[in-house]
Amino acid sequence: MSDALAGLGGSADAGALASPAPVPQESAAGATRSRFWARLLRNKVAMAGAIYLVLVVIAAIFAPLLTSHDETFATRFQDILFSPGEAGYVLGTDHVGRDILTRIFFGARYALIAGAEAVLVALVIGVPFGLAIGYFRGWADRIGMRFVEIVVAVPAVVMAMAIITGLGTGLTNAMLAIGLVFSMIITRLVRAEVFAAREEFYVDGARAAGASDRRVMWRHILPNVAPPLIVQTTLLFAQAVLAEAALSFLGIGADASQASWGRMLRDAELSIDRTIWPAIPPGIAIFLTVVAFNVFGDGLRDAFAREARGGRVGVGDVVPKERSAAAAPPRPPGSDDPLLILRGLDIVFPKPGEGTDMTVVRDVNLDIGRGEVMALVGESGSGKTITGLSLMGLVPDPGQASAESIVLDGRELVGMDFNDLRWIRGREIGIIFQEPSAALNPAYTVGRQVAEPLRVHLGMSKREARERAIELFAEVGIPDPHKRIDAFPHQFSGGMAQRVMIAMALSCEPKLLIADEPTTALDVTVQGQMLDLVGELARSRGVSVLLITHDLGVVADLADRVAVMYAGEIVETGRLTDVFATPRHPYTEGLIAAIPRNEPRSGDLPTIPGVVPPPWEWPDRCHFADRCPYEAIECRRGPVDLRQLGASLTRCERSHELELRGVQHAAVVAIAGWEQPTGEGEPA
Amino acid sequence: MLRLLVSRILAAIPLMLMVATLVFFLAQLNPVDPAATIMGDDADLESLAEKRAELGIDRPLVVQYWDWLNSAVVGDLGTNWFNGEEITTELRDRIPVTLSMVFGSLIVALAIGSAFGVLAALKAGRWPDRTITVASSLGLAVPNFWIGLVLAYYVGVKLQWLPAIWPTTRPDSLARWVEALILPCVALGISASAAIARQARSSMIGVLQRDYVRTALAKGLPVRRVVSRHAIRNAAIPVVTLAGFQTSALIGGSIFVEFVFNVPGLGRFGVDAILRQNMPALLGFVIVTAAVVVVVNIVLDLSYAWLNPKVRPE
Repeated sequence: MSDALAGLGGSADAGALASPAPVPQESAAGATRSRFWARLLRNKVAMAGAIYLVLVVIAAIFAPLLTSHDETFATRFQDILFSPGEAGYVLGTDHVGRDILTRIFFGARYALIAGAEAVLVALVIGVPFGLAIGYFRGWADRIGMRFVEIVVAVPAVVMAMAIITGLGTGLTNAMLAIGLVFSMIITRLVRAEVFAAREEFYVDGARAAGASDRRVMWRHILPNVAPPLIVQTTLLFAQAVLAEAALSFLGIGADASQASWGRMLRDAELSIDRTIWPAIPPGIAIFLTVVAFNVFGDGLRDAFAREARGGRVGVGDVVPKERSAAAAPPRPPGSDDPLLILRGLDIVFPKPGEGTDMTVVRDVNLDIGRGEVMALVGESGSGKTITGLSLMGLVPDPGQASAESIVLDGRELVGMDFNDLRWIRGREIGIIFQEPSAALNPAYTVGRQVAEPLRVHLGMSKREARERAIELFAEVGIPDPHKRIDAFPHQFSGGMAQRVMIAMALSCEPKLLIADEPTTALDVTVQGQMLDLVGELARSRGVSVLLITHDLGVVADLADRVAVMYAGEIVETGRLTDVFATPRHPYTEGLIAAIPRNEPRSGDLPTIPGVVPPPWEWPDRCHFADRCPYEAIECRRGPVDLRQLGASLTRCERSHELELRGVQHAAVVAIAGWEQPTGEGEPA
Repeated sequence: MLRLLVSRILAAIPLMLMVATLVFFLAQLNPVDPAATIMGDDADLESLAEKRAELGIDRPLVVQYWDWLNSAVVGDLGTNWFNGEEITTELRDRIPVTLSMVFGSLIVALAIGSAFGVLAALKAGRWPDRTITVASSLGLAVPNFWIGLVLAYYVGVKLQWLPAIWPTTRPDSLARWVEALILPCVALGISASAAIARQARSSMIGVLQRDYVRTALAKGLPVRRVVSRHAIRNAAIPVVTLAGFQTSALIGGSIFVEFVFNVPGLGRFGVDAILRQNMPALLGFVIVTAAVVVVVNIVLDLSYAWLNPKVRPE
């Protein structure tokens, strides 16, 4: 994540900020291969499948040695059917007296050979074909895909049957036919992967470096196509085993002299009026083999790319916690009768790949006054977004939030369950997210989505809610609200979609509006307008705002108060003017220095070196020390508490002796904002 | 919607034509003389030549193709080489049997598969999810004709609850028709349910992590509404796509199930056609199957447009 450097300068890494949980991804480079094997070997189900398959291979190779009976040998007594165990037949015999166990072993041969034939044919045809049409695109692609489309327009078995008609029946021909049909699947897969790989810069890079087409294809594209191809091949092998059994069962695959599992089922059907038994062992053999290939294929897939973390409506409310330390922290500066009082918020997540917990937000205290705009500022990974979400009980799974108290307008929210909190969400607290186009449901018109909370919370009729939604659209500056209300989210630009979100968030007249990076995903030209709009609406309605941002410049002319967060902790909080003029924490100084401004300076835009470390690396002392230019021996002693200094609170061991460089607030406003300074530019 | 429908139908025509062409020439690859198959080994050369002339297969391939295509376009798929019946008529009797089996299974599979898939997603990582995941991967691996055999034996022969084979006389009442369909539908539908459950689970898990679900929660909606309104509709899109593939797979699978239960449907007809090198019958079988798949896909395209406004034409 390069965000830490760039983010301080004003641009942002939208992807990193968008993730609801500040859990950094494992770094991809380097040990990918060893991790692949480690993950695969750790997957017990996949390994069980692999072991079973090895057993099948052994049975197939050594079939003649494993049994004293002959594959096709029938007892002299035609029409005799020994039960399992009878006359030395472990699994009994079929209706002409052939030993079932022997035939199961030999059946493994036919299954594996048939599967290998089909998969080989599919790969030999599908891979070059897919590579070619994916690489050359244009006409080659159009004609090739047309052909694939024709073949897959008919069910695979039916197409295979048509091919078998041309080739003649028999096991080899049948599997050739199946392979031909499967090759279309491989073609499509390879083509899609090549298309994806082409978009990657390394292919363009290789071409720019003068590599030939063929070289690019084999050396650069194929390795990227390989993982999905390996997975698909394994799964197709399972399908081929099934197809072999199915076609042999119909009598158009293996012939009567071949002890294929499918053929055995066909024979078993002949005596089904007497007993089902001869059908059971081959059925189970097919079933287990297919399961084994499938679970092994799934295991490979998971090992190549771990699936996204498990779902469910994964949000958790905040559970109560006792204050452990004796000394209460100093009260955050603010008004005497704040709207929101947050005390002792902790949020923990399970550490990726391990069972232990890691703390991503620690002991956050926050007061937001009535009608006040509070800015929560910090780099991505500092825990500010999740702090905002916790106020509404929306901490994503598997996160766990606990707090001593969250009081909203005199009401305690801690301990409320999901359903109690429903009357807070949308009704008392509205929220705007960073990525407006993702935050709106693509399947419904924006009007319905804005009307929804009105109907649920205020009990409006469909018609009333619609009228109100149109009014709200007009208030947030959406032109033509009567028409636009019936449009779908994809028909809106980012800025307009964010206006829809604002209308939705304010629809039930909430007391608190959480704006989580409301402008980060938007075009620079509309960012200023959007902040103006939020500020105006909040002021005119007397709504308090929690403005979450990574960019201190953004808050300069909007916020009354600032809380700076770093690595899960609030490191400084105070009135905006104080924080700007006399920062009390080195991190704040760094953030201020990184605001682009209109004054001559030499060299690059100053940034704070390094990035926010992942939560499991946070030390048990000052979290910022490793990046701090003023770091000294006392910073390494132990945890640092928030302390009062001037009108602000700061979490710095050396704050009293440092003279940190601030900025005249007005100067920042004049040049940092995208908007023109207006008369009301000076808040508080 | 109408324009979408018309454009889909227009696109389907060349596709059907190509399928017909491909299969026609594919079937000609076989060196075996159909006349010899029909007349038996002891037929003399003269009568074989006569038979070939009668079947029209002594003419150049292109002429045969053109002739066949011209009649096929107006719904005449030729005459069965072996029994002299009109193939169109034979197929017409069989289509309803196979389709009721396929759609019976599909509807049940969609209902069961979606319900279990959504449940698994909502309980992701907990025991209902694990149970459903295991069950669905097992369900995908069982050959349908084997389930058919086992069901026919236990439910049909042993318990005698339901007919083990299709009644030899045409079922005369709806009740008997349904009764005869139950076991074949169950045998056929298990793997489809499993596939749909897996897809429903994974797309639901994906959708539940989307921002708009968080938005819906942030509005203060009850979980049930978030799931039923905001999540399911979006999660349904890949499921609908899969249902298209599944229809095709079910038609393919019906061949084997029909074989087990002796159902007089398309599948048996197709298998007989292959075993006896009965070209006009095979062609008719493939064309009709392709047509069913094409129609189903058009219907799915329309429902896809309903689910996903982005692909809806303005």
